[in-house]
Amino acid sequence: MADTTFVAKIEAMLEKVQKASRYTGGEMNAVHKPWDETELKFAFCFPDTYEVGMSHLGMKILYALINSREEYLCERVFMPWVDMKALMEEENVPLFSMESRHSVADFDVVGFTLQYEMSYTNILAMMKLAGIPLLNADRQRNDPVIVAGGPCAFNPEPLADFIDCFMLGDGEEVELEVCDCIRDWKKTDAPRMELMKKLAQIPGVYVPCLYDVTYKEDGTIASFAPNCPEAPEKVAKRIVTDLDKAFFPENIVVPYTDIVHDRIMLEIMRGCTRGCRFCEAGMLYRPVRERSLEHLIELANKLESSTGYEEISLSSLSSGDYTCLPELIRALMKDFDGKHVSVSLPSLRIDSVLKESLEETQKVRKTSLTFAPEAGTQRLRDVINKGVTEADLMGKITDAFTGGWSSVKLYFMIGLPTETRQDLDGIADLARKCINAYFAVPKGQRAKGLRVTCSASSFVPKPFTPFQWEPQDTQQMIKDKQAYLREVLRIKGVTFHWHEPELSYLEACFSRGDRRMGKVLLRAFEKGCILDGWTEQFKFDTWMESFAECGISPEFYAYRTREKDEILPWDFIDAGVTKEFLWREKQKAEKAEVTKDCRKGCNGCGIQRYKGVCSFANPGCV
Amino acid sequence: MRILGVFEKSERLRHIGHLDLMRAMQRALRRSGLPVSYSKGFNPHINVTFASALSVGAIGKREIMDVSMEGEVTAEEFLQVMNKSLPPELQFSFARAVDDRHPGLMAMVAACDYDIEIMDESAKAWMPEAVRLFGEAGEVMADRKTKSGIKSVDIKPLVKELTIEGGTLHAVMVQTEAQGCKPDMLLTALTALAGQEEKPRVMVTRNALLGCDESGSLVPLENL
Repeated sequence: MADTTFVAKIEAMLEKVQKASRYTGGEMNAVHKPWDETELKFAFCFPDTYEVGMSHLGMKILYALINSREEYLCERVFMPWVDMKALMEEENVPLFSMESRHSVADFDVVGFTLQYEMSYTNILAMMKLAGIPLLNADRQRNDPVIVAGGPCAFNPEPLADFIDCFMLGDGEEVELEVCDCIRDWKKTDAPRMELMKKLAQIPGVYVPCLYDVTYKEDGTIASFAPNCPEAPEKVAKRIVTDLDKAFFPENIVVPYTDIVHDRIMLEIMRGCTRGCRFCEAGMLYRPVRERSLEHLIELANKLESSTGYEEISLSSLSSGDYTCLPELIRALMKDFDGKHVSVSLPSLRIDSVLKESLEETQKVRKTSLTFAPEAGTQRLRDVINKGVTEADLMGKITDAFTGGWSSVKLYFMIGLPTETRQDLDGIADLARKCINAYFAVPKGQRAKGLRVTCSASSFVPKPFTPFQWEPQDTQQMIKDKQAYLREVLRIKGVTFHWHEPELSYLEACFSRGDRRMGKVLLRAFEKGCILDGWTEQFKFDTWMESFAECGISPEFYAYRTREKDEILPWDFIDAGVTKEFLWREKQKAEKAEVTKDCRKGCNGCGIQRYKGVCSFANPGCV
Repeated sequence: MRILGVFEKSERLRHIGHLDLMRAMQRALRRSGLPVSYSKGFNPHINVTFASALSVGAIGKREIMDVSMEGEVTAEEFLQVMNKSLPPELQFSFARAVDDRHPGLMAMVAACDYDIEIMDESAKAWMPEAVRLFGEAGEVMADRKTKSGIKSVDIKPLVKELTIEGGTLHAVMVQTEAQGCKPDMLLTALTALAGQEEKPRVMVTRNALLGCDESGSLVPLENL
């Protein structure tokens, strides 16, 4: 435990803040280790509030993984809300960990998980609150090593000035190797740069200070190369080949306060075979790896008895594709019958063989069902390779209404490449067809209270997708499309939600940004931008001022079409899928040609180059 | 049968609200594997009741809950299993098996015993005088927040005991379903009596929940 005056100060602050329970700790299954007896102290930082961070599965896995090593200690750290942050600054209380309330600067390693770009200012805010120099060039031997991982690490460049080392791919593989390397270095007197060079030799690790970038006059990248022999030219992501053998926690921290996903999240598989062309996760988490039925049932039971949770969700990118899904659900229902545990399927895919499963889930609870057609017409769904037909969709929706549901949510994206007015009209058509499908069910058989919710997010082109070369729709175009949708979706029983285009615009700048975006990030942070993902905190004008003051154009990142031969900031990363595959997919998208699900045959995405990792790979594919 | 259990809500958990605490206890009961009974209905929940909600920010030394069991459970077994199912910050110190006919805990609460530690130096200086004035006053009016609005009540008869020693107030105050005086009301009144503007920062510890025995005297509820 940290010293008593420090704790007393924290306790006094907690009396003044909203939701003090975010900062209390003391939860069931939190790991407390004797500080002085551990060799390496790892502060696992989630750059958002407790409620958001505690809902994240990856953090639970890695927290337990590091703590599974007796000699290592891992504690959780979250972004304090604005009121708490202000008090901490006023009272000179540095950022502290949830468990032992040690100052984050006292840890050996400070790790950030990069889940979404709009959390980047929080990373700077947390480092500043911890008293750690923001720029990696300014940090000394005794400062913590700043590491980062997660999906956004696949375009690490906007954070290259701040993070010492990025871990790419499945964290279970690389996290402990990085810890071991840092522990060994701590025992020597070698300078920090020595450590950086050692870290760079671990497969899947990118150390930005060991690479130099030059730019052409037009602002695009002229060269990107290592500046020392220790750093590899290409960094390949790490891949867990067998999920059954991979680490998965058998107990997880159970919070007191409400969090976003307050339930057991059972990861049934990783990766997705669908190949939706807008989806970064679908490309990054390849290949598909399933946990076995037996292992999942065992894990579910262990987690249920170690947490006491009353709900379990099956987590993956497309749970409906899990090979033994009906068997799994039936087995869980049987085990949890009488224990009052409900089983929910979060990312329900509309074209999965789920009718039977639907009937099973309703035994427990009837929440609204979510479908993600993503686009309003078949043509555009073919462009994005969302292998879903209207007949499929309406069939599943009719099943849902017949099965006793009365509330459905439809997720769409606007601003997709090649989108026209007809595609927007298609969204309204689908909504209307849902209404008709509901009324087609005889009155006595359908549940009361029809509600169709249409949500339209704005498309953000992402790295490592076939749309990585595409421009984003301008904010004005998005606003016009939203206004149009508001008109055509004025239908009784239909609610329409949309997103602020400003946030998507900024997200686009960061998701495909290069190193120079780090300057904008730092400037915006210095000008007071934090918690940008929270609408009420987002200061778009300040962001635009920051761009202007740095002499950097956001349009260059968001609105520009990239050429085929342009060096993209993330080209040095081997994420499994090849640039050739992505370009092929882009060309097919332009012709609205679909690519089949990998389960039906190998599409040669590039993963087949890694022997034995993908069960659907054909090594002969080019 | 039911098990009546006494637990401590430690300093670290003092900001956890009552509903969150109830949920944490329900989950602990689920983890324990004890044969707890569930309510009937669409969303079944464990039949557990707390004798009295503790205000957010206060420490509870001997908080009391009671839970119905489907099967036989001994007090020792309950203590052992539950303490393993709870973090160190939330532990049971006592348990007792009671009959289903044992009266409801909430109706049994008559008063609470508090320590109120004054955290401000200046208030430590004026508080003893306020306590003296309180003792001499015929009536002491204080505002009580109720569902229908703010009501001014005389708290003098509700405060059964009030002393101060070393900067800590010790108070035994009536707390029933119909009426009661909470530390905050008492502090408001004491601050006014001392002619002070601002209520001091305090650390409240509820030491015990009290009920009335046959002779009418206040005794720890768990012994009744």
